[in-house]
Amino acid sequence: MGNRINILISSVGGQGGLSLSRMIAVASGISGYSVATGETLGMAQRFGSVKSFVRIGLGEKVYSPVFSLREADYLLCLELIECTRNLGYLRENGRTIASLEVKPPISMSLEASKSKPNYSQYIETLKSFASNEIIFIDPDEVRRAAGTIKAVNAAILGAFVSISNLFEDKVILESMREVLGSEKAIESSRKAYELGKSLAKNKQSLA
Amino acid sequence: MELNPLKMSKGIRVALMGNEAIARGALEAGVALAVGYPGTPSSEVIETLQRYGSEIYAEWAVNEKVALEIGIGASIGGARSLVTMKGPGLNIASDPLLSAAYSGVDGGLLILVADDPGPITTQTEQDSRWYGPLAKLPIISPSNSQEAKDFTVKGIELSERLQLPIILRTTTRVNHSIGEVILGDRKIPKRYQKFEKNPERFVRAGMSWNFERHKWLDSRLKETEKISEDLFLNSLEGDGRKCIVTEGIGYQYVKESVSMENRDIRIIKLGLVFPPPLNFLARSLEGCNEVLVVEELDPFLELTIRSYAKELNLLNVKIKGKIDGFLPLEGELSPEIVRSFIFGKKEEDVMKTELHVPSRPPPLCPGCPHRNSYLAILTGISKAGFKRKDVPIFGDIGCYALSVYPPLSAIWTEHSMGASISMAIGMKLSGFDKPVIATIGDSTFFHTGIPPLIEAVNKRVDMLVVILDNSVIAMTGHQATPSWSETETGRKTKEIKIEDVVRGIGVDELRIIDPYNLDEMASAVAELLKKKGVNVLIARAPCAIYEQRRKGRPGYYTVKEDLCTGCLACIRATGCPALYVTENGKVRIIEDDCYGCGLCAKYCPTDAIVRGD
Repeated sequence: MGNRINILISSVGGQGGLSLSRMIAVASGISGYSVATGETLGMAQRFGSVKSFVRIGLGEKVYSPVFSLREADYLLCLELIECTRNLGYLRENGRTIASLEVKPPISMSLEASKSKPNYSQYIETLKSFASNEIIFIDPDEVRRAAGTIKAVNAAILGAFVSISNLFEDKVILESMREVLGSEKAIESSRKAYELGKSLAKNKQSLA
Repeated sequence: MELNPLKMSKGIRVALMGNEAIARGALEAGVALAVGYPGTPSSEVIETLQRYGSEIYAEWAVNEKVALEIGIGASIGGARSLVTMKGPGLNIASDPLLSAAYSGVDGGLLILVADDPGPITTQTEQDSRWYGPLAKLPIISPSNSQEAKDFTVKGIELSERLQLPIILRTTTRVNHSIGEVILGDRKIPKRYQKFEKNPERFVRAGMSWNFERHKWLDSRLKETEKISEDLFLNSLEGDGRKCIVTEGIGYQYVKESVSMENRDIRIIKLGLVFPPPLNFLARSLEGCNEVLVVEELDPFLELTIRSYAKELNLLNVKIKGKIDGFLPLEGELSPEIVRSFIFGKKEEDVMKTELHVPSRPPPLCPGCPHRNSYLAILTGISKAGFKRKDVPIFGDIGCYALSVYPPLSAIWTEHSMGASISMAIGMKLSGFDKPVIATIGDSTFFHTGIPPLIEAVNKRVDMLVVILDNSVIAMTGHQATPSWSETETGRKTKEIKIEDVVRGIGVDELRIIDPYNLDEMASAVAELLKKKGVNVLIARAPCAIYEQRRKGRPGYYTVKEDLCTGCLACIRATGCPALYVTENGKVRIIEDDCYGCGLCAKYCPTDAIVRGD
């Protein structure tokens, strides 16, 4: 995995993928790592495909804000179809954390009169593609723990921190404060973050 | 506690997006006025400055030409100003740009123009570096957030030393990337100093004056490299005989590739991309036996280097870049493309999944009033007795262009700001004998839609103009329009009413309608479509996302599964992204995403869609 860590965050516009990349970037800054992110934002990206690149350098500088296919050490997904779309970025032995939420694009719903959709195939594809076990996050669990699905990005962050050991909790909290702003959002994100951490830990202890 | 990078003190290291870094740079440069028109990827500069408070003037102007002229007006009085826009915005502002080069400036004037290789969110892949030779103005190009900040400060300084406006040219990967920035000191904004009458300089009506000013401009431009020397815009690393000339984000891709390979390669990075720093280039390229040029879009630097090959002692040296097809002319570069260009490596095979993943172009949001407007327009066309394929709907730039996708498949064109009305005029004048409809957003109407409406009225061209008024610049992130009575910074303004403007132009009929009353709007469309003259329908309802953020949503809908027959009438009519089909073939509403407009319920033949609250 080297001293440069590549993270691809895959989401549907409006889910909080950009906040997640920003939280990781700010936490990297506080931790003294070199960091660069590249994202597509602006325009009406709501409900469109959103892809954010985050690159962290441990003791060495990262230059490019983006990376190429087969170079992601971590693939963090807020939505299953988008996750499948970006599987090509995952490197051999890379790790995947994915929310089980499905938001089918309109093009797919318009086709649904011809054949009924099959969403579980995305989970199967992810499982068969990834060489490491995937950490799945159940959106209903996030809703129960945090009170809102908007905190799903923080649950993914919790699982990511748990398996990467890149950040201290207090650093994450500081970055949540900077990126999220409102107390309410910080509170629900903290709860979701803890949930994500414990999900990843359980998974590791089972393995 | 919100950490505001604009208020932090010198020496602090902070992760900033390129545009935030430019905003910070404006404060460190003592900029007093920041004006622009929103356009991805440039918008966050002014947005960030607006968070700073009232110490500097940071506001949106009605369009880029007006914004630049405001900047010029401030700068000839000695104030420092920053003007921001996306690439196509500079096309609109190119008229004042070329004249400003002749008059020059006293206070620093920096023009941010953000290009979009890819393209990711822009109508063309325009390479705005060509404005350098066209306007005869210097162009500087940062490659990351730190330089985005530093070049803003240096650009203002260079502008004052040269007495010329400077173009700060960026691309999306610089504007929208986050990287570390070490902050410098803020300066007190430099406001109005003095403005003395000097017609030779400021009046372009005297042709001999213009001739003299052209000579003056050429002499200033010639001094650029010398005058900018101590600003260290360019850099040289390594001493290999394989040399790379690069700029902007291309430099980061080169660094990434070279740092992985540990090979002796010389990197010549230009921060000043026009006029070419020939002395620096000659020094840096000495002894090279191969020169690779890494740049996005057009072979701008490559052509420069090729054309000065003799002066740069490169006549017997192979120069490789885009002209011989080594690098693509279209689209973004990537670390991978650059790596294989430098080291000749083949791209690795990529494992592909068998599964087809459906594409996801951004749709109109749930509850978006534009969806209703276009449905009403399409229904109105049929109601008036026309076929949909016979009545072209001219579109314009804004969220509503997303109506091009199924199921609405509404607009026929989307071209350039304000072009909906003018292109409809051309179609009619050339002999098209069926009705035409132009659809244009409120901000686009203010921006460049007013002159073509005057043209239509004045030349008696029959058409229906639908102004889709959501009272905000939605697509670029909800910026103020002239219809606001107070801007983002709390500045009280005099609101301009679209209906007053339209009436003042003298259209034949004007109606204002709420697009959520779909049937009423469809009837109005049908009626106006059959009437002669220029008829305007203002479809007015606030942007659903913006409204929801301020006031919460009016509610949400849900599907009674036992009543849903899976006919999909709701999805086929609306294409609303809050709806989807479950594995049992029935429709479900993602309640978190639903706005509660109830449009889908209207199309359900079995009343299966009901309010959920």
